[in-house]
Amino acid sequence: MTASGRRPSTGFWVLLILAIVIAGVFSLMVGPMGDPPGWVVFRLRLPRFVLALLTGSALSISGCVLQSLLRNDLATPYTLGISAGAGLVAGSVIISGLAVPVIGLVAAGTAGALLAVIAVYALASGGARGEYGATLLLAGVTMNLIGAAILLLFEYFSDASRILEIVRWMMGDLAVIGWGKPLFLIFPAVIGTLIVFSRTDVLNQISQGDDLASTRGVSVRRERNLLLIAAAVLAGSTVGAVGPVGFVGLIVPHIMRRFVGADYRYLVPASALGGMLLMVLADSLSRIVVSPAELPIGIVMSLLGGPFFLVVLLRSGRRK
Amino acid sequence: MFLSTLRLDDVSAGYGTRSVLSGINLSISPGDICGLIGPNGSGKSTLLRAILDLGVTVSGTIEVCDIETSDLSDNQQARIVSYLPQNFNPFSRLTVAETVLLGRHPYRGRWAFDSSLDLEIAGECMLETDTWHLRDRIFSELSGGEKRLVLLASALAQEPKLLLLDEPGSSLDFRHQLNMWLLLKKLSDKGIAMLISTHEVALAGRYLDSVLVLANGEARAFGKPVDVFTTEILSEVFDVHLHVSEDSETRSWIIVPEMEK
Repeated sequence: MTASGRRPSTGFWVLLILAIVIAGVFSLMVGPMGDPPGWVVFRLRLPRFVLALLTGSALSISGCVLQSLLRNDLATPYTLGISAGAGLVAGSVIISGLAVPVIGLVAAGTAGALLAVIAVYALASGGARGEYGATLLLAGVTMNLIGAAILLLFEYFSDASRILEIVRWMMGDLAVIGWGKPLFLIFPAVIGTLIVFSRTDVLNQISQGDDLASTRGVSVRRERNLLLIAAAVLAGSTVGAVGPVGFVGLIVPHIMRRFVGADYRYLVPASALGGMLLMVLADSLSRIVVSPAELPIGIVMSLLGGPFFLVVLLRSGRRK
Repeated sequence: MFLSTLRLDDVSAGYGTRSVLSGINLSISPGDICGLIGPNGSGKSTLLRAILDLGVTVSGTIEVCDIETSDLSDNQQARIVSYLPQNFNPFSRLTVAETVLLGRHPYRGRWAFDSSLDLEIAGECMLETDTWHLRDRIFSELSGGEKRLVLLASALAQEPKLLLLDEPGSSLDFRHQLNMWLLLKKLSDKGIAMLISTHEVALAGRYLDSVLVLANGEARAFGKPVDVFTTEILSEVFDVHLHVSEDSETRSWIIVPEMEK
């Protein structure tokens, strides 16, 4: 007698990819066509579409990793202060007024995210044995508050035009001219994605408990460090490129669990695709609502994600 | 064939500089069940963690199936020794079948999906532990006793020669506790050796082949239950006046604290 786990059908994957393609075509066509239309589509909207794909999947994969490592389905890439670190460093670069190219912001975001994760991790390792997860969460929350405060302090001493720039960046912005941003983001996104994709079985093991994972042959400490670094690179580079866009890393794995179950071998690829779809749809929406002007993607996502998060909280509260 | 499934030779263990266990010697033959008994904090869990190399500093020799554990890779050891811990994530949203299949990890390469052999073995382990009917349920929604059985099935999916169990019967009611011991007895008949930390002294005596009594991190006694479960030894170890008598009818022990005077 054999019983297998839940396994998404081929049709599910095809549908998901088809949905992304349709949403993509839609997002390329939606909005006013200035002339020449070819320039608008290939220099503005196509790179923007690619940027949405990259950021959506990066944030969702990063969310999956943290939900496994913290054994908490409500964890997000921002729980461990990753956004605060990325935001602080990338934001400081903007405020400093240095004319940095896009790659500078991506690098700054990645570096900031890594620093934050290392700091939070070091703090938590000093905590009591067995209280690891709780300490990690507390350290992350604290890191978020400190990072936000320091960034505000910088803003306070900056002049108005810089403040405007940083505030606009904090709202999240997918608008691009040309291929610079998506091309620079591809490297950290692909590296982080490969690290996680090759360790989805490890995510399953670690989500069961460190002791169990360890006695099944997983080098928990090493794998966890690698996965944390991958999660930080994915989320940090994204924050550097488009600003802190929230909720993607939370909502997408949640919705995908409904379809493919909790097995990370299916959940991670499904979340990557789901994140792409959500980001492309949200981006199209942000350009439609107040057309011909557009809304910042971060605001659109938070307005969609906030209520969703509350519903999830209420429902999980009822289950217990 | 190996002579002893587990052999400890002058093993001391601790966390960092804090020493918890010292001078432990033990040998368990294939198919034997050894009980680990002692008061809270006497080092029972630490001994299990030392054998499993779970963050414990160890000195001395630990051998499983006549091979020193330090010579085994993590994966090799996982194919010989498996573990039923007290601490696990009770909120896992995996199904029971998926949870049991996780025990196949040491036999799989990276990125591998469940082979037909994996599915077959997981199915057998679920039948053996009577969890087959739960296979499509979500782990987090099971009762405490069911979770324990599912994790035991997943430990069996590792096809272990040695099974380490940390208080497998704690917080189970009479029927589930008895079923757990009967199941462990059945598994031992198949040649799996076991080291079980437990507080259920009375019932365990029926099923244990040998008992190691720990007190303050040292071995106080080792032998058959009938030699070890005495008023003198248990009273001293648990630091309370106990009245111990063997009940011939049920072949188990009646152990109660004496009336305070």
